Amino acid sequence: MKRPQAQVAVLQAADAQEDRRIDDVAADADLKPEAATRAAFELEADGLVSVAEETLEHYELTDEGDQYVRESLPEQDLYEAAIDAGAADGPVQMGQAIGASGLEGGAVDIALSNYARKAYGEIDSGEITANPDADPGSDPEMLALEAVADGRVEDADADALDQLERRGLLNVREETVRSVQLTDDGVTALMEGVEAAETVDQLTPELLTSGEWEDVAFTEYNVEADAEDVSHGKEHILRQTANRVKDTLVGMGFSEMEGPHADAQFWINDCLFMPQDHPARTHWDQFALEEPEEIGELPEDLVERVRSAHKEGVGPDGEGYHSPWTEDIARGMDLRGHTTSLSMRYLSGHQVGELDPPERYFSVEKVYRNDTLDPTHLLEFFQIEGWVMAEDLSVRDLMGTFTEFYEQFGITDLEFKPHYNPYTEPSFELFGTHPETGEVVEVGNSGIFRDEVLTPLGVDCDVMAWGLSLERLLMLMYGFEDIRDVHGTLCDLELLRETEVMR
Amino acid sequence: MPVVDVDPDELRYLTGHSEKDDDELKSDLFNLGLEFEGWTEDDEFQLEFAPDRLDRLSVEGVARSLRYHYGDDRGVEVPNTNSADWTIEVEDQPDERPYVTGAIVRGLDMDEAALESLIQLQEKLHATMGRKRAKGAIGVHDLTMLKGDSVTDETGKSITYTSADPDEATFVPLDADAEMTPSEVMASHETGQTYGDLVADFDRVPAIYDAIGLFSFPPVINGRRTEVSVDSRDLFIEMTGTDQWTIDHMCNIVCYALAARGGQVEKVDVAYADDAPGEYAGKTLERPDFSVRTKTVTHDRIESILGVSLDSREVIDYAERAGLDATETESDDGVAYEVEVPPYRVDVIHPLDIIDDIGRALGFNSLEPTYPDVSTVGGRHERSRLEDAARDALVGLGFEDLLNFHMINEAENFERMGLSVPRTDEQASGGNREQAVGEADPVTIQEPYSEDYTILRTWALPSVMMVLENNTHRSYPQDLAEIGLAAGLDDSENTGVAEHRTVAAALARTDASYEDAKARLQALADAFDKDLETPPTTHPSFIDGRAAEVVLDGESVGVIGEVHPKVLVEHDLELPVAAFEFRLDALE
Repeated sequence: MKRPQAQVAVLQAADAQEDRRIDDVAADADLKPEAATRAAFELEADGLVSVAEETLEHYELTDEGDQYVRESLPEQDLYEAAIDAGAADGPVQMGQAIGASGLEGGAVDIALSNYARKAYGEIDSGEITANPDADPGSDPEMLALEAVADGRVEDADADALDQLERRGLLNVREETVRSVQLTDDGVTALMEGVEAAETVDQLTPELLTSGEWEDVAFTEYNVEADAEDVSHGKEHILRQTANRVKDTLVGMGFSEMEGPHADAQFWINDCLFMPQDHPARTHWDQFALEEPEEIGELPEDLVERVRSAHKEGVGPDGEGYHSPWTEDIARGMDLRGHTTSLSMRYLSGHQVGELDPPERYFSVEKVYRNDTLDPTHLLEFFQIEGWVMAEDLSVRDLMGTFTEFYEQFGITDLEFKPHYNPYTEPSFELFGTHPETGEVVEVGNSGIFRDEVLTPLGVDCDVMAWGLSLERLLMLMYGFEDIRDVHGTLCDLELLRETEVMR
Repeated sequence: MPVVDVDPDELRYLTGHSEKDDDELKSDLFNLGLEFEGWTEDDEFQLEFAPDRLDRLSVEGVARSLRYHYGDDRGVEVPNTNSADWTIEVEDQPDERPYVTGAIVRGLDMDEAALESLIQLQEKLHATMGRKRAKGAIGVHDLTMLKGDSVTDETGKSITYTSADPDEATFVPLDADAEMTPSEVMASHETGQTYGDLVADFDRVPAIYDAIGLFSFPPVINGRRTEVSVDSRDLFIEMTGTDQWTIDHMCNIVCYALAARGGQVEKVDVAYADDAPGEYAGKTLERPDFSVRTKTVTHDRIESILGVSLDSREVIDYAERAGLDATETESDDGVAYEVEVPPYRVDVIHPLDIIDDIGRALGFNSLEPTYPDVSTVGGRHERSRLEDAARDALVGLGFEDLLNFHMINEAENFERMGLSVPRTDEQASGGNREQAVGEADPVTIQEPYSEDYTILRTWALPSVMMVLENNTHRSYPQDLAEIGLAAGLDDSENTGVAEHRTVAAALARTDASYEDAKARLQALADAFDKDLETPPTTHPSFIDGRAAEVVLDGESVGVIGEVHPKVLVEHDLELPVAAFEFRLDALE
């Protein structure tokens, strides 16, 4: 019979006649107690040994108990001082006795409470008496303390031990002691001969190909031990969020747009019916480029239609704006302040050809705003932009689409607050209920593009659109408080490494 | 978004709803789109709202909207006006600021609150419609302090909007004790310093005279003589600007607010001289212009935008609740409405704006969402799919994916990487000059707000190096990669900018070597079935003899090497970095 080395050693160290403690067996078998215990249980499972358990109590003095055993109990000190003060003959001032005893601080209270309990005397109204018949010299608690200190627990009085534990002078620790004894089957096995099987640390290709693995036992690992840290790559959390958004939108039938980051104001603002003297068009809000300063070409007919929409309006009752409009400003190059510039390029037919309804498009791309950097605002952030082109779209369709989208992210109870944008009418700010905190938070801006936007682009059906910052969605979902920790060169690698993945 | 301070007691007084407590008012205001932002020091509501309803820039305007909301008022209301007694003669006014308008309001009994509201309305209109006074500026004067000698007519009185020599004309401006010329005001008066720029280039500055002399220097400051106080009962309002429609409508908003305070509006004739600059030479305009504009909106369009069926009675009811008047009519497209728009509504410029008003009166949130019944097939853009595939491959190779800003400054992008800053003035952009990776002429930002962000990055490795620099306290190895935008000037592009996605990766570890970087680059090339060659090259960011071109399928698309010690030291790094960068489209 082949058994692992540890089991063989335990079998050989165990006795058929008497229980042997595992510790002793381990010492004989040259095993660590844990290994011997494990081997003993394995042998017991096969019926070769029996394992018995016994619970032992160990008494240990606390630091306080140790101090008293070396000196004396506080109540003993007090008794002596009281006797010396003549308290055996009648009450004396307690202060006097305490002063003479040399007790201080907490020891005084300890002395007083035990003094009366042990009938060393009486304490009443600040006076103390001493019972001349008391015998502190043979105090059972002191004797018990000494017995524990000397390792003679069996000599100690059981009540005194309990009292000492209550006084915090003694700790009782329970220990389970196991012992083994050979069973008849164990004896038989030993008589028939037990060999140690070879144990191996590592399963090697040789073991596998030679077939030797059948005759070896594997050393056991501490499978609960911590493993070392593994460095690994992870997709950036904001990219994960972007991809989650993209997946959702593709699933809802949206196609992805693509286009320039540096673009003419024409596509960024003028097509969107933003008047050229709009306060948001100053360089304090958007990044105008020094170089290149101007776009090469703009579609002439479209420029004229956009100019006309601004100056004269669209339709018989359209007024347009009472603001100046020049092509020079429209030609100026900016970093796009929103990805709606892409929507304009796509809707104009100049990006991917003329579009016929129905169409759905989206992008999740960078935009640039000349804003003050703070925990929730970056100069660059990702904008989620989406639009639906179809005949006869209503605000109810808009509400339905966005309700569906936000529910994918756990944001429910969407509310539509009427709002104003130069390029949409009606327009709505979107508010939703945060999945974790239950707060009502702003989650986007939306609307139906105005005729002054669509007519110049040559679109004669309805288009509804919305926008939202990806960072805002991320912060809502993850509770990040400072977006700069995540996005940009000030990012903290530790945070990126430790952030849980998006699901 | 505009913010207006409104005293809730004033609101209760002006709406006649003394029973409304502050919370009820806040809730009613929220439903109108005016959000309570907090209290002012004087216990007033700070209300924020979208910049369309500029007629709500005063407590009087907010109260008017509330009265419509409560149903106390319905339809269009136009204050009575008395006929003109005064004329604004317009002659020799500056070409750059040719327009003026005006009105008189009499019989006011203003307390502090009313005066404060008027001042606030003036400021808020300046900031919004007036485009910081450039497009329109308001002057309000105590009429009794004006002496209007008749120039043209024996009964009428007049003032004159003209121009003045900035160094000769004199008056005592507000907040001053001595006579000053316009030039002196611009140079040394606080308000003059703020608004002087608007007219600093003019040969002759805008000026308004009465029979006594110069009393207003628009758009900068009024004279002290005609200053308005709580004792002023009759006001003369003038507005100058670069667009007649704009100042006329600013004037309407102010007149409506004063009429709500019990003022009686009186017309003023604005008489442009035959040779006056601008569109109205030889014409006399009667102002304020309280004429009601009319727009036609079809029933079908209302129903299709709101997505509900309505009958005409409902449409007319919602319009009236919005302060409009609607009359049913017939059009080529079926039932339609002639809708009258009051003269203070500057935001209604198309029939759609009326549909929005009707929707708000009906309550958008009462509508049931529907999912549009049109089907489309979605999909990712191929560039975005490629970017994702490359990012997945890099992450699989153990790189931490980074996301950095596209804006950077010259020092980070060039100098700290060992490159010299390209001088675009000497070298035509996108020319034939052989440029190392990262050496493109950068797209530059005009008047950058921050010194950290002055150009678009021409490559991404500098951003990756900055992340390494900011994370020297974190554990190594730090294997970092980024796929993102890089851009450079390029005349052959219509925008003048060549934008591309770039792949940058760096291995920062105690034993990082060229071979480590190449092994990963090779794995990436293999994953995309690209043939990789790495002929030796020199690049200022890398160690000579340990740098190579990245050639994918025969095309040179990037650079790989061990980062030069001077670049490492510059970034406070105390261990080697091996890195590569190449164009993402090479993996197509």
